[in-house]
Amino acid sequence: MRKRLRLALALFMAFGLVAAACGSDATDVVDSAGEAVADAAESAQDTVEDVAEDAADVATDDGAEDDAMAEEGADTIVGTIKIGAALSETGKFSVEGKDSRQGYDTWAKWVNEEYGGIQLPDGRYEVEIIYYDDESDADTAANLVQRLIDEDGVEFLLGPYSSGLTTGASAISEAADVIMVEGNGTSDSMFERDFQNLFLVATVASDYTKSGIEAFAAKGAKTAVVAYEDTSFPTAVANGAIKHLEDNGIEVLAVETYPKDPTDLSPIISKFRELEPDIFIGGGHYIDAVLFTNAADDVGFAPDGMLITVGPSNPKLIDELGDSVEGVVGPTQWEPTMAYSGEWLGSAQDFATRYESYWGEAPVYQAASAAASGLALHIAIEQAGTTDTAAVRDALRAMNVDTFYGPIGFDDRGVNTSKPMGTVQVQDGAINVVAPDGAAIADFSYPRGN
Amino acid sequence: MDTLVQALINGIAVGGFLTLMVLGFSIIWGVMGVINFAHGEFIMVGAYMAWYARSEWGVEPLYSALPIFLIMFVVGFVLQKLVVNKVIDRPHLVSLLVMFAVSIIMSNSVKLIAGADFRRVNSDIQRGFWELGDIATIPRKHTVVLVVAIIVLVALQTFLQKTRLGKSIRAAAQNREAAQIVGIDIKWVYAFTFALCIGITAMSGALTSTIIPVFPFMGPPWALRAFVITALSGLGSVKGTLGAAMFLGLLESLVATYAPGSSGSQLAVITAFGLLVVTLVLRPQGLFGGLRPVDAGGH
Repeated sequence: MRKRLRLALALFMAFGLVAAACGSDATDVVDSAGEAVADAAESAQDTVEDVAEDAADVATDDGAEDDAMAEEGADTIVGTIKIGAALSETGKFSVEGKDSRQGYDTWAKWVNEEYGGIQLPDGRYEVEIIYYDDESDADTAANLVQRLIDEDGVEFLLGPYSSGLTTGASAISEAADVIMVEGNGTSDSMFERDFQNLFLVATVASDYTKSGIEAFAAKGAKTAVVAYEDTSFPTAVANGAIKHLEDNGIEVLAVETYPKDPTDLSPIISKFRELEPDIFIGGGHYIDAVLFTNAADDVGFAPDGMLITVGPSNPKLIDELGDSVEGVVGPTQWEPTMAYSGEWLGSAQDFATRYESYWGEAPVYQAASAAASGLALHIAIEQAGTTDTAAVRDALRAMNVDTFYGPIGFDDRGVNTSKPMGTVQVQDGAINVVAPDGAAIADFSYPRGN
Repeated sequence: MDTLVQALINGIAVGGFLTLMVLGFSIIWGVMGVINFAHGEFIMVGAYMAWYARSEWGVEPLYSALPIFLIMFVVGFVLQKLVVNKVIDRPHLVSLLVMFAVSIIMSNSVKLIAGADFRRVNSDIQRGFWELGDIATIPRKHTVVLVVAIIVLVALQTFLQKTRLGKSIRAAAQNREAAQIVGIDIKWVYAFTFALCIGITAMSGALTSTIIPVFPFMGPPWALRAFVITALSGLGSVKGTLGAAMFLGLLESLVATYAPGSSGSQLAVITAFGLLVVTLVLRPQGLFGGLRPVDAGGH
């Protein structure tokens, strides 16, 4: 028995020694391979430069005929750019997830079918978006982003829906040095992490309520109450709202938070009713808008002004809740009536018409934000002339373009600071932009129902 | 004083609503030893049926509730015969997994048919509130549900105590073998119990569709609440369910109202689950004593 043990030990040690020797060999091989790759890359670069120079010479020499030929060559589809996105098809964010997906697909369909593919120096590239259902769960979204990068080999990412999901997903893409452009995760905290690869085309959460609160202040509102779900995005919006209320001289009488996935908000709304505030500000997602309105109906809470973060800009909310949401105010990233346009996808109204022809329903701003994310990535790739991450990142940082979604220009954090946030109000069952003044198409009605 | 009255009213309103929603779960667990993981999905299906009846034919949920009960009674009977009956003799975990799979099938099927959008069922009867002087308001939606809950509770309690079939159900819950020895057809009792509970659960979904947003994945939080209330009340106890649901409703409402700072609603959730832990450790038969303790094994 002891003999066998000794033999086993000796074999194990011998194996260890061989492995160590192989290991050092392997390292050498890798090193030399690395050098070889570097050499090859250098010579390849030289070749590319030579070819490019030659091509430029030829083009200059032979004039228009060759230009036309080059253009014809450049117009053929030579490849596919793979883009990945985790989106909520099921769970709490299934509505917004579907809107976001339709937004991404609107851009992709337009690029592939009408625009002719993304233009790079060697030709045009079709766009392929690979989607996975993140089930409205942050961990799942992060895992899926990892899978998109590792297994599907996507070159770029588009964001999931909501800040909670984007926070984790963007950490994965940052670690893998893959660019993520997004329009539906707007919490400020995401952009305080010094990430290099995360870009937001939408307005950041803390400014969601700015123009709305200014409109309330201009109409004489003096007191307010605030309730919000204690998660990333609603907290960022509510903290911004509290700051904007104070800046505008409106007293905050009470602030209430509630946990994720609420089922009834009556206790909070009952408490608020006792305080008789001029305005109510509710931060959450679409489902919270339904719960706030239900609770207000149930306990007879009818302040002069109600501002709810997500929902009032969505026609579905009016279909479902009818009169209950009349006069309710909400922020909007974008509306088809806004006077924005650009050379891609036309004007805001053009985008809305196209979207409706594809999906049979009018676009909500989440869909427009998603489409704008795809478009920003598209413009950056074309401006960079390559799909190389560093070059596309530089192009995004330097971007300053007008689009159907509004101006797009990113600051150092990766946030689009060129576009202001609008405010809508439900008026006679229609969603009208009432602030800021430049974008407004109707007068702001305050108190509600006046 | 006004605030206290309102908090109490809110608590009772929520309690009534929870009672109706949880009853079926509690009885199925108590009588058959099956943890119905698809409980929330039966609420969801009832709510969708009410939504369809309201949006297509203009029928108030209060009126569509009875037909929904009858339809889902039949569905429950068939489901029990075809699926649940086949696994009922195996350990708890098997039936739990089967019902979990059923819940996934149900929610995704409804999503395929009706889409993922949130729906709210509008009702003229269940809309607005009554004012109690200047002191407080009483929500109509919850009141209707509370009244129905009380009617169902009284009917169910009478049925279980007075009728032969009701007595058979209680006997089956207390001792299956003994019940069989005295000639009770246990399969029939189980099928009827399951069908009855699914009917009540779907009906509760129909009535509460005016209160909570309706969407295909609304089920799991309600199944979780049902679990908490059943564990607090004791399995299969009709009175216990009422007591625990009212207790939980009032507790959540009072904590949410009176907790200092801005986190009352969050404290309410923590308190409810803290209470669950304490109950399971110190009093596994539930606060109100059920048909069997929570830790009773499978058949």
